[in-house]
Amino acid sequence: MVNLFKRMRKLKTVRLLNIQVGTGAATFPSATSATKEFPAITRLHLTYARKIYGGHQGARHFWRNCLPRLKYYNPAVPMTVRQTDQQDGPAALTIYFSERASNAATLLAGKVTDQHAPEPAATEQSVVLDVKNLDYKDIWTKVKNMTGAQEIPPSAEQQAELQKLEQMRQQADKDRMRIAAIRQAKADQERMLQEARGEVEKLKQL
Amino acid sequence: MASYSSLLPTAARSILPSCRPALRPSPMATFLPALQQVRAASQARKKDSKASKKKKGPKEFKQKDLKDMQQYALCDAMRYLRAFEVGREPTAAKYEVHVRLKTRRDGPVIRNMLRFPHSVQTESRICVVCPPGTRHEKEARAAGAVLVGEQEVFDAVKAGKIEFDRCLCHPDSLEALNKAGLGRILGPRGLMPSAKTGTVVEDIAVRVEMLRGGTVYRERDAVIRVPIGQLGFTPEQLRDNLRATIEQIKKDAAGLNDRITKQVYEVVLSSTHGPGFSLNGDFKSDNSPDPAVLQGV
Repeated sequence: MVNLFKRMRKLKTVRLLNIQVGTGAATFPSATSATKEFPAITRLHLTYARKIYGGHQGARHFWRNCLPRLKYYNPAVPMTVRQTDQQDGPAALTIYFSERASNAATLLAGKVTDQHAPEPAATEQSVVLDVKNLDYKDIWTKVKNMTGAQEIPPSAEQQAELQKLEQMRQQADKDRMRIAAIRQAKADQERMLQEARGEVEKLKQL
Repeated sequence: MASYSSLLPTAARSILPSCRPALRPSPMATFLPALQQVRAASQARKKDSKASKKKKGPKEFKQKDLKDMQQYALCDAMRYLRAFEVGREPTAAKYEVHVRLKTRRDGPVIRNMLRFPHSVQTESRICVVCPPGTRHEKEARAAGAVLVGEQEVFDAVKAGKIEFDRCLCHPDSLEALNKAGLGRILGPRGLMPSAKTGTVVEDIAVRVEMLRGGTVYRERDAVIRVPIGQLGFTPEQLRDNLRATIEQIKKDAAGLNDRITKQVYEVVLSSTHGPGFSLNGDFKSDNSPDPAVLQGV
């Protein structure tokens, strides 16, 4: 088992902070916080192809980066992801609204159909967003506009943690340079000695 | 630089090698053997003590101080793990538990089988070979075996339809099974029943029950690792399974031997793709979400 401090730093400051802060750290309107403009979100479904060519990269990155954060802040919203083998198939994000879709969503909706997305229930209405050839940050902006999600800014503590991480990164760069110089000097010394020794040997052989 | 001997006059060169052996051997020979012996003896003793020390090592596994460890309530850990597992195949991603024991390095290890209150595996399909029309057949069916019988099983297997993950056999129909020559088909898949693997048994019903919900676990380097739940489980279901696991492990530890003590030191909840969270034993903390939402995909 690794040293506890190392383990805790990796877990707390890297992995957990990464899930709490960043693109997609936001809450969707739920049944209690829904407004007329933005109804509650009941489900999400993402479909994309296995490889990144053909514009599927953004969708995969959205799953990797944004979905864990969304899931963390909206534990009640089921989120499913489907990876297909059809590289020329759709890369689509389906958003399920309760009762009716928001106006923004209907405006931004793409003209793709996603046969892998589950059928909306009787009380749901789904809107499909075409995410092909989009960066994951662009996808997130679109999703935010469509759903009226409230972004959660990092708290003071989290910001301090982030700063500390950044400082550590800079310090690590400095240290790396320093150690590299020391190692280089040592290697040079070694080589010089070796060369000198070689000369002596040569002289002896003469 | 040329060698020194070439610079010397020829006469000196001829003298030098001849006088070297003459000068040395006599005085050296008198004290050297004794000295060597002494040195060898002392070295040998040192080596012995070192070797035995290396073999011994610490008797117990090294335990980290949990004061430095942040521990989580079950619901909080689940919330994080569910975020890490988002979008994964719900049947493939599982919760796991790692139970760290306080134990000696040597001595017996815990290994046992466990039945969870809520089954972790998606039902494994079990085939039972037993004489048709007997009590065993009824029992096996009642216990949940999918394929029961003699000749019908053989026919299905020979036709290439192997729709089960485990195969059991009753001793009464072992002969028929061996005659049917299924070893070639079932053997490579590890499905051929044999007394050695414990798949030829009298009380079929009990065994079927065990196989359907049972999970095998063992202690390796003072840690027991077991999958304890599907990702869709509610916190209550997971808590029940966790409790059953810990209780079973404690029972195993108590039943080992009087002189050997094993204690549960740390319980870590993890998942297939997620990190490990050391649990503090609470079900939920003040700022954990409603347990009802922590289920499904």
